[in-house]
Amino acid sequence: MSENVNVGRRQVLKGAGALAIGAAAGLVPAGKAFAARGNAPRWGFIVDLRRCTGCRSCTVACKAEYDVPLGAFRTAVYEEVQGKFPNAEKQFLPRLCNHCEGNQEDKIPPCVKNCPEYPKDRRVFNTADGKKIRYRGGATYKRPDGLILYDNDLCVGCGKCIEACPYGARTFNKRLIAGKDASKNGIAKCSLCQHRVDQGVAPACVNICPPKARIFGDLNDPGSEVSKLVKEFGLENKRNETTLLPAENTVPMLYYIDPKGSLTKLASAKKKFMGNEAWVDQIS
Amino acid sequence: MSQTNDRENRDVARQRSHIYGLLATFYRQEVTSDFLRQIKAPQFLGVFSDLGLEMGQDLFQKSEESVLEEMSVEYARLLLGPGRHISPHESVHLPEEEGGTGQLWGKPAVKVKKFIEASGLEYKSEYSGLPDHISVELEFMQHLTLREAQAWEEDGRKGSEFYLNIEKTFMEEHLTRWIPIFCEKVMEETEMPFYKGMAALTKKFIEFEQEEMVDKSG
Amino acid sequence: MRDITRRDIFKLGAVGAAVIATGKAFSSQALAGDIVEGGKDFSPKTGVERTMIPSSCWSCVTRDPMIGFVEDGRLVKLEGQPNSIRSRGKICAKGAAGINQLYDPDRILYPMKRVGKRGEGKWKRITWDEALTELTARLKKVRDDGHPEKFMFHYGRMKASSSKIVKAFLSAYGTGTVGNHTSICEGGKWTAQELTWGAHYDNWDFDNTKYVLNFGSGVLEAHTNHIPTSQRLVEAMVDRGVKMVTFDVRISNTAARSTEWVPIKPGTDGAVVLAMCREVMEAGLYDKAFFPFIKATDNPNASTDEKVAALKAHLAKYTPQWAEKISGVPAAKIKATALEFAQNKPACVISYRGAVAHYNGNDTERAVQMLGAITGNIDNPGGRCHGVGAKWKSPKGPKGPKAKKLKILDGFKGAAAYPTHHSNHQILKVIKDGKAGRPDIYMWYCYTPVYANGECQENIDILKDESLIPYTVAVNAYYDESTALADLILPNPSYLEWWDWEDMVSPTQVPEYYIRQPFVKPLGESRDFKDVVCDLSSRLGFPLGFNSAEEFVKKSCEMTPGIKAAGGFDFMKKQGVWHDPNAKPKFDMYKKKVKADALKKAGVIFDDATSTYWNWKKSGAKSEAEAKQKGYTKTKNAYKGYVGLKVGNDVFAGFKPDKVNKSGFFEFYSELLKIKNFPALPTYVPIPEHEKMGPNELVLTTYKVPVHIHARSANCKWLTEIYHDNPGMINTETAGRLGISDGDRIKVKSEVGEITTTANVTEAVVPGVIAISHHLGHWEYGRYASGKKAPMAGDDDPDLKLKWWDTYGVHPNWIIPNKLDPINGQQRWMDTVVTVKKA
Repeated sequence: MSENVNVGRRQVLKGAGALAIGAAAGLVPAGKAFAARGNAPRWGFIVDLRRCTGCRSCTVACKAEYDVPLGAFRTAVYEEVQGKFPNAEKQFLPRLCNHCEGNQEDKIPPCVKNCPEYPKDRRVFNTADGKKIRYRGGATYKRPDGLILYDNDLCVGCGKCIEACPYGARTFNKRLIAGKDASKNGIAKCSLCQHRVDQGVAPACVNICPPKARIFGDLNDPGSEVSKLVKEFGLENKRNETTLLPAENTVPMLYYIDPKGSLTKLASAKKKFMGNEAWVDQIS
Repeated sequence: MSQTNDRENRDVARQRSHIYGLLATFYRQEVTSDFLRQIKAPQFLGVFSDLGLEMGQDLFQKSEESVLEEMSVEYARLLLGPGRHISPHESVHLPEEEGGTGQLWGKPAVKVKKFIEASGLEYKSEYSGLPDHISVELEFMQHLTLREAQAWEEDGRKGSEFYLNIEKTFMEEHLTRWIPIFCEKVMEETEMPFYKGMAALTKKFIEFEQEEMVDKSG
Repeated sequence: MRDITRRDIFKLGAVGAAVIATGKAFSSQALAGDIVEGGKDFSPKTGVERTMIPSSCWSCVTRDPMIGFVEDGRLVKLEGQPNSIRSRGKICAKGAAGINQLYDPDRILYPMKRVGKRGEGKWKRITWDEALTELTARLKKVRDDGHPEKFMFHYGRMKASSSKIVKAFLSAYGTGTVGNHTSICEGGKWTAQELTWGAHYDNWDFDNTKYVLNFGSGVLEAHTNHIPTSQRLVEAMVDRGVKMVTFDVRISNTAARSTEWVPIKPGTDGAVVLAMCREVMEAGLYDKAFFPFIKATDNPNASTDEKVAALKAHLAKYTPQWAEKISGVPAAKIKATALEFAQNKPACVISYRGAVAHYNGNDTERAVQMLGAITGNIDNPGGRCHGVGAKWKSPKGPKGPKAKKLKILDGFKGAAAYPTHHSNHQILKVIKDGKAGRPDIYMWYCYTPVYANGECQENIDILKDESLIPYTVAVNAYYDESTALADLILPNPSYLEWWDWEDMVSPTQVPEYYIRQPFVKPLGESRDFKDVVCDLSSRLGFPLGFNSAEEFVKKSCEMTPGIKAAGGFDFMKKQGVWHDPNAKPKFDMYKKKVKADALKKAGVIFDDATSTYWNWKKSGAKSEAEAKQKGYTKTKNAYKGYVGLKVGNDVFAGFKPDKVNKSGFFEFYSELLKIKNFPALPTYVPIPEHEKMGPNELVLTTYKVPVHIHARSANCKWLTEIYHDNPGMINTETAGRLGISDGDRIKVKSEVGEITTTANVTEAVVPGVIAISHHLGHWEYGRYASGKKAPMAGDDDPDLKLKWWDTYGVHPNWIIPNKLDPINGQQRWMDTVVTVKKA
């Protein structure tokens, strides 16, 4: 499916001459270039809060990509008005799975760790140069390139991963029957559009974002835009300011460029994360 | 199998085909004056009343013109809109894990279309409806059962099995998954005896077929 | 009913056989062919390939180029068109949710005819032939009776080739009674522009600007050229550090993202802008180089010094302190911002409905134009520029009789001085009044007179009244509040199923040519209205010369030189977009010199009063003598003969007029307004109703959110899931004074009605205001918009079952009177005075 998306697009663009080729190149994020190098990439995602206009293109593009059922969101924008008139301001906070690295001790993200199927499942990740990286997972697993993915075939529908995620990034998919227990539902969560990324195409939300507030790429590639931004804004060194809920020690690979300190200001948003309340994208 | 059984099976298949054809006609379009004449015929009324279905007095007391008008308005109210109506399309009713339902031309519509086309039939170019309209699904069964009847005649059980399998698969994957529910909604919504009866008959017949299928495969 | 047994099968089968046997006459089957063993492969797992088709959006007027992916004959996803120079591969939430429009389970798929009383909700299906036969007969009668003007056509969104095709039909038919929707959008802004710089539409060159000043535009969330401009504005702010200051009554997303939000009282933008003009002039920060093109006094030959003096004199009373009292914006802020704006060149002053949908909106926009002009930020890179769109060549329809027109489009006689974009929100009132005549046939297209205008109840009452309008026709894919009052519904497809060529303004000043093509064929029996008018024209005996929209687009591709050279129709079908790679951005066009030859053409004369060359033969004048005697300003349609503007010894292209006889100057001083007894120079006039407000009264103001189209998207489940309630925003202090707490049910009452809604007590809006968005509160438009779900739909409609909200919002238009700006006829959306009480 994803392959065809990519090929189809290029086929049409081929005929358009130089102009089209330029554009086609623009469609392919840094990951493709990396894949040729062999090692697993380390996918990074940056939300630039200076750019987000709260337009919800990302939310709807994601709905459309997966036909996410009503009531579930794989990505959502949270907004909040703060301060007193006339100095009030409105903050936007786009949220998606943080694709956490896991704490320093075991490097296993909490959602993966808490899956009852972990670490039963043996998985293999094929790198572009043909190497195989072996790793373990459950119904939820972290791929060596950093993506936290979900395999419904292995899911018992217990919801422990939902409870384990401090961010509210997971919710039950009420249309999906859990693979191992027909009486339960499976999970909806962001996959960073693995089916597109594996073909060198940016995630749907990145592709659509009009003000380019969402940036995706390979942190192992020093030439990628994400690497440059990580360097420019010291995103990896100042995790307390650039990631959500640093105290949870989940080590997100989702960074925020946030010069105005919105993350710390969004007090009630934080509350919602803490309560494991699943996201709802709603403008009130 | 004896030839007698084959013949009886042939006849049953043929009758089933007729019934599917009748049901498809109910849903395909508004009642026309020709159709109305048949509905009012003693044979039709007899069978219906035997099944416990009442057609109501309006059919006979009102002028044909006003009966047809009322039936058209009721048909639109129930099945076409505009405004709130009970969509006669599988895609609007059937749940699917991967989505693409609760809408027109959803994933179930694609499946119906592929199934029907795979059988060798095609949608006529002048057909303007959607591929998963209830009348198309019933009509497809009409075609299948007719071929089944021919197969009984020509090849006996050996030949008919092919069609029986397709019927069974289509029934299980499509008709039985949504038509009984759809019919219940129509029965609940309409006060017009004809459409209430039509929906009841459809539901009962699909249930009958479902049981028969189990018997046959058993 | 009892269960069916095997015995019943034979009896029932016999009935069925009888029906089928005679059924051929009344029932056409869907399927043909024979069932063969083996058949085709029907595994859903194989052979699935998504086909990519370039097309374009039509959710809002921006009409972004798009690509869509089709799988198994279903459109599965919409994305931006990466090759577009306008949108650069981006679309918005509304664009991405377009699939919800296409596959809306509540769509109208067949022509429907009313049964019973209008508005009763009883319908029956008819064939297209029946529908068009009936419509043709009615149209023919009206035309044969010599009153083609009694066929009124009213469109909301109809652009580019759609407009050309439908208007070819209307003009061949001979009716000029053609309404639009512009007065409920931004028509007043356009008129004000026509009175100052000519043809309307201002493109904001954010790529090159250094500073942005915004009065009442939601440029980052709901602009007429949203995706192309918003992405460039964010880039300018973040990558180039451009400062943006937004004046708005509430924290829109645009205000939120701006460098500064400056709260302002509704309807007072003009005061602030005039004070800014004053400060710029007083500080000597005006751009002398632009002044030769400015008309600032009644003397067309005034020197720059004289103009400066006149402006200073006019502006003297508009001190920042004066403006502070009116607007609530601190004087120091006004002064500092004015100076900053003037000192950061190029800078761009932008404006929209927040500033112009008022009683005084015309002069607010004129003042905004003035601020741009005195600082030299007009038609320059980085400034406020005339819009540039594609110029397609296309087939012309047959020449019809001289169009006749009912005088019902511009409000009551004399209500507006220059309603150049009409006053469509007045039309139903004028029809009810009847003095200007009434249409026999009222047909609307992509328009909802009931919901989109103010005073919904009156709209319903008038439209329902068969004695006022004998025949109503709705062209729509959806059953909205107005379609419910039609006699005949012609089912249109969604925009994802039709053809167009497109021409929306480019943010780069380089025109982009693009098309819209169907992703799938129209669902059911829905038929593109453009194809329908081709059919209607033939039935009425004046074929248009093309038989379908596709043919029209194809011919246009062959007729438009650049497109033809690029590969014509086939190229556009494959690529979707084209622009001339050698085209230079269009800036400073007014400075172009007019060639001497052009002045020597027959009919070209010079008008001293306006310093304007014009060709009287293209105007309404009967002779040169008459033209000279009446002069340029007072000769009907003189602007159509405009040639150039004489400045000193040179003749320049100047600011070419459109729709009114403005001179070639950039007019601050408007002779046209003076003639109609309005101030010639931009002047602040307070809103009369606001002057009389009591202490407990508030001003109702409306707005858009980023995820909805004004009136046509609440049926989209992905959008309505995000935005399905619109409580009234009230400032904390104001709410406290009224004893209202957040979440309280409140009654909001105006002179025309009352609504009950919920209070959203917030710091994000100025005191003294209640702000209510205008997308929701539908009582039709399907299950997601109105909650009018199909009978028991929730029992099994798999998505509806998961719907987690049960609010549908409240439409503010019920209580907004249909009033107009006395100069331009614009609907005064933001002026309504209301009382707010706990319910």
